[in-house]
Amino acid sequence: MAEVSIAFRLPVERAKIREFALAVGEGNPIFFDAEAARRAGYSDIVAPPTFSVTQMWHLSREEREERLGADLDYARVLHAEQEFLYNRLPVAGETLDATMRISKDVTKQGRRGGELRFVTYESRFNDAGGEEVLRALYTLVQTSKDPRE
Amino acid sequence: MTLPEPGSAFPERTFGPLGRVDIVRYAGASGDFNPIHIDAPYARAAGAPDVFAMGMLPAGYLAHAASDWLGGPGGFRRYKVRFAARVWPGDLLACTGMVTTVAGGHIVVALTALRRGEGPEGLSLPDEEIALTGEVEAELGSSVFVEEGEHGA
Repeated sequence: MAEVSIAFRLPVERAKIREFALAVGEGNPIFFDAEAARRAGYSDIVAPPTFSVTQMWHLSREEREERLGADLDYARVLHAEQEFLYNRLPVAGETLDATMRISKDVTKQGRRGGELRFVTYESRFNDAGGEEVLRALYTLVQTSKDPRE
Repeated sequence: MTLPEPGSAFPERTFGPLGRVDIVRYAGASGDFNPIHIDAPYARAAGAPDVFAMGMLPAGYLAHAASDWLGGPGGFRRYKVRFAARVWPGDLLACTGMVTTVAGGHIVVALTALRRGEGPEGLSLPDEEIALTGEVEAELGSSVFVEEGEHGA
């Protein structure tokens, strides 16, 4: 029996922010230097806008599939869309309480024939005070047959 | 500094050429170890001619460009991307942004990232194609950089 949602935690660690910022070519000091971040109005270095994808370290695809039970065939799955909704950016030192659920699961007729199934995984990240920090919407598309055929 | 208006373009920002090490670095940073992005024999067995970037890597570069254009990421309220084409080792990623609306202290910018390059052997890709499109909505800060008609680094 699939679960409705999965709760997990996303630590926002200083070294992880640095590693992630470097991986997207960042040079903005607010991601590397606490002093510069404080001058820009933050309490510590800031996580880049797409940082919450590091949730994959804390909730694997295998666990997600097993627990939420979308029953996707990953040989036919592509990442279609990604959206982030922000109240603020996370800062180093906090641990976010996260919840993931399937927020959309629709099947449409493809333009080239066949059916396309779109599944959106929504992750909400709240801070220690229970306020929502950001939301990430991860949308996969499953084609009706193997895309390489 | 120019007050941004609908139709204003931000200076094109180019990343790359994308190295295999860049893909591996992003795998480690993000935790996305799907072997199709890092293991060429696996990618070939799965029907791809070579490894290719996980979509969130060019999406991360595009967010980086948008953050620099908007004077930092602190004002971001929404960032959305749609993936249109795979990005291959050796590709350049050219990011462009065009202001669509400015209202109520918010700015909305339409984003495009083009991949430029020969692509892997075995695929006859155009030298340039849209890899991703997207949109960023942000609170308008004090330092938004618009350089109409200019194409800089």
